[in-house]
Amino acid sequence: MAEPIIKVENVWFAYDDKVVALRGVSLDIYPGEMIAIIGQNGGGKTTLAKHLNGLLKPKKGRVLVKGMDTRYTPTHKIVKVVGYVFQNPSHQLFASTVYDEVAYGPKNLGIEGEELDKRVKWALSMVGLEGYEKENPYDLDYGKMKLLTIASVISMDPEVFVLDEPTTGQDHRGRMILADLCKKLNEQGKTVIVITHDMKFVAEVARRTILMADGRIVLDGPTREVMSAIDVLRKAAIKPPQIAEFSYRLREAGVNINAITISEALEQLKALLSARR
Amino acid sequence: MGLLRRTIAEVETFVHRLDPRTKFFFFLWISAFAYLFCDYGVTAILLAACLALAAYARVLRPIGLTILIIVLPWIAVDVFVLGLGPFGFPWNETEIFRFNIFGYEVPVYYEGVVWGVTWPLRIGVCISSAMLFFLTTNQARLVSLLVKLRLPYRYIYMVIATLQMIPMLVDEANVIYQAQVSRGLRTDVSLLKRAMHYFALMVPLTLSTLYKVQVRAIALESRGFSAPVKKTILYRTTFATEDYIFFAAMAVATAILLYVYFTYGFSPIAKMRFYIIAG
Amino acid sequence: MSEYVIEVENLSYSYPRKANVLRNISFKVKKGEVLGIIGPNGAGKSTLCKALNGLVPHFYGGRFSGRVVVAGMNTLEHTVAELATKVGLVFQDPEEQLSGVALTVYEEVAFGLSMLGFPKEEIDVRVKEAIKKVGLEGLEWRAPFELSGGQTQRLAIATVLALKPEVLVLDEPTAQLDPIGKFEVFSVIKKLAEEGSTIVVVEHEIEELATFADNIMLLNEGRVVAYGPARKVLGMVEELKKCGVNPPSVTELTYLLKKEVGVDLEVPITLEEAIKIYGEALGVM
Repeated sequence: MAEPIIKVENVWFAYDDKVVALRGVSLDIYPGEMIAIIGQNGGGKTTLAKHLNGLLKPKKGRVLVKGMDTRYTPTHKIVKVVGYVFQNPSHQLFASTVYDEVAYGPKNLGIEGEELDKRVKWALSMVGLEGYEKENPYDLDYGKMKLLTIASVISMDPEVFVLDEPTTGQDHRGRMILADLCKKLNEQGKTVIVITHDMKFVAEVARRTILMADGRIVLDGPTREVMSAIDVLRKAAIKPPQIAEFSYRLREAGVNINAITISEALEQLKALLSARR
Repeated sequence: MGLLRRTIAEVETFVHRLDPRTKFFFFLWISAFAYLFCDYGVTAILLAACLALAAYARVLRPIGLTILIIVLPWIAVDVFVLGLGPFGFPWNETEIFRFNIFGYEVPVYYEGVVWGVTWPLRIGVCISSAMLFFLTTNQARLVSLLVKLRLPYRYIYMVIATLQMIPMLVDEANVIYQAQVSRGLRTDVSLLKRAMHYFALMVPLTLSTLYKVQVRAIALESRGFSAPVKKTILYRTTFATEDYIFFAAMAVATAILLYVYFTYGFSPIAKMRFYIIAG
Repeated sequence: MSEYVIEVENLSYSYPRKANVLRNISFKVKKGEVLGIIGPNGAGKSTLCKALNGLVPHFYGGRFSGRVVVAGMNTLEHTVAELATKVGLVFQDPEEQLSGVALTVYEEVAFGLSMLGFPKEEIDVRVKEAIKKVGLEGLEWRAPFELSGGQTQRLAIATVLALKPEVLVLDEPTAQLDPIGKFEVFSVIKKLAEEGSTIVVVEHEIEELATFADNIMLLNEGRVVAYGPARKVLGMVEELKKCGVNPPSVTELTYLLKKEVGVDLEVPITLEEAIKIYGEALGVM
């Protein structure tokens, strides 16, 4: 069994020493995982995520990124390993061209010349923005701005990607593009962690789901299991994806169905209905 | 952010209740006296008065911190630059002592040192009295006042927008800083590199703030804010007893200060021979 | 007086820097109706909302042709401020709709009314009513920045409701909110709908929309691609998918089942309908 790439050990954190945001959170993240962190705002999702790249340091407990303790390691060493994409593109975009924007991250890491150029082109092609190198970031529509912010982290080639609410404000097509991008990154061996409210997205993309509430981890397991824990989700005021709830209600009525995505439900219903014929 | 917004909401002191015009006039008045004198003693007393009012109004922390961060280092730098002979501050004439570095004789002059202390203190008086005005004035009440004074809506909106921007900037600055640190912005590198990084912070900050102000303008427009009707005034816009008491206090202080000025000159404590406006 | 609160005829619009954002749009909204507008980003949904209260074209300029009449007022002949008491527009980002100068929830709602010159006594009555309608009683004296996302958005809705508009237009009101916030805002919208308010709401949360919208309009590239009762439009799975819009999951599921296996099932648009339909089909209900 591989070593976890990130270990979170009993972390406590409070903003301004007053508002306790994390209460004894522990988890292990293994290389190549595809994780979703869900929960209400204020539950600790973003706070936890910011501990993963060293932006925030635990008040109690510790976070180890590839063995480096985030409390004692300079943040710029951690961000080499863990890339964080913020929710709002306007908090990051500042360059006058798409190219410069994507080059900023790797430049900070000391990459230059041909290697830098290769990285930028590769990052842009991953998100489908080839050809936009000379555009002004603020001339792009919101969806492309989002992709640009992801590209500017891809070019840093971290091993772990943390995406903070990538689907907020997106339309359905945009969500699909993001889902495909997450899968593509994951297929390349990257660990992908997504903080999101979009349960349909979680069901279709994440293999492991972590539910946070009141600064604690309430559920942590395979997505299917978490989606099926309807009572726990309800207590946390989370609505599972429609198919999961549909499946749950039919199960309660005695139907042998366990689906969290449309394709799963389709297959299972085909079987059930033909059995009745 | 909480710093700026919390202060008005939680506290209601005599200073908060003063009419905005009174506080604005106080800012002009005390800044004028800070410039009338060229003296570290008098200016320090004026600054202390501002800070005392701030303490009474329970806004000492933000104002005090600003003064500490801006004024103190400035004094330190200025005293060094102006007081030391080699830098050639033109009003230096009275040597207080000299010291010896690597065989060179460095004289330290009284005028430079005094001026190095006085001029940042003057700015401190302006800043603290202005901050006192902003932090203790109910913004909606300020808008009511501007409406009463029949300021055209466009300008009222500009005031609202400026007031909105300050907490917005503070909030946003922190997130933007985090976003750029996540892309490798380093705080342990040379000053030059840091200056370049500064740009990476200022641009998103400015753009996102401007964008937000524009969106807000649209939202307010949709609520009919620019309707050319007579707007209802929700807050008290007249002077009250407290304002008159405050004006009386300022009158007494004016008398005292003018007496000192005409009897002892523009530099009663420091006894500077020349009057200097800015360094 | 027309029974239609909104009448849009052949509306076409180009921004100064973006052409043909709306192309020949026509539709009518009756009093008490709930119209849901769906479509991909860039389809012109927000622009259409802004055309309903006059921001388009008065605030943005551009080229405008066609007619938009709201509560009997032609938007070309009235200012945005005049239309504000007929059309209440609520935007996506809750924070950006607050004046920023009010210290309490009460003041925020009152501030808007004071800028329109309502007398003080009436302001007090309207503020209390609006706060009640959005369920923020008890929070009148809280500072706006202390509110959660859902509460802030409800406050924004209250500031609009206080003007007693004839139609409420909401442009992706829950896009920036967490699940609780979404629930709170949808609850308010549904309650207002039940009370007979005329509502136009743009949303990507199609599964929610399906539970309370009377009619749905699908917009793509500035054109109306489909328009009719919710059941009909949401059942047009191919059309929706072509525009990059996902129908409710249970709708898509049933559509695919019918296509691939040929079962004769009614097509549900909500979860409850789906449970009933499949329950019967599988013999458990």
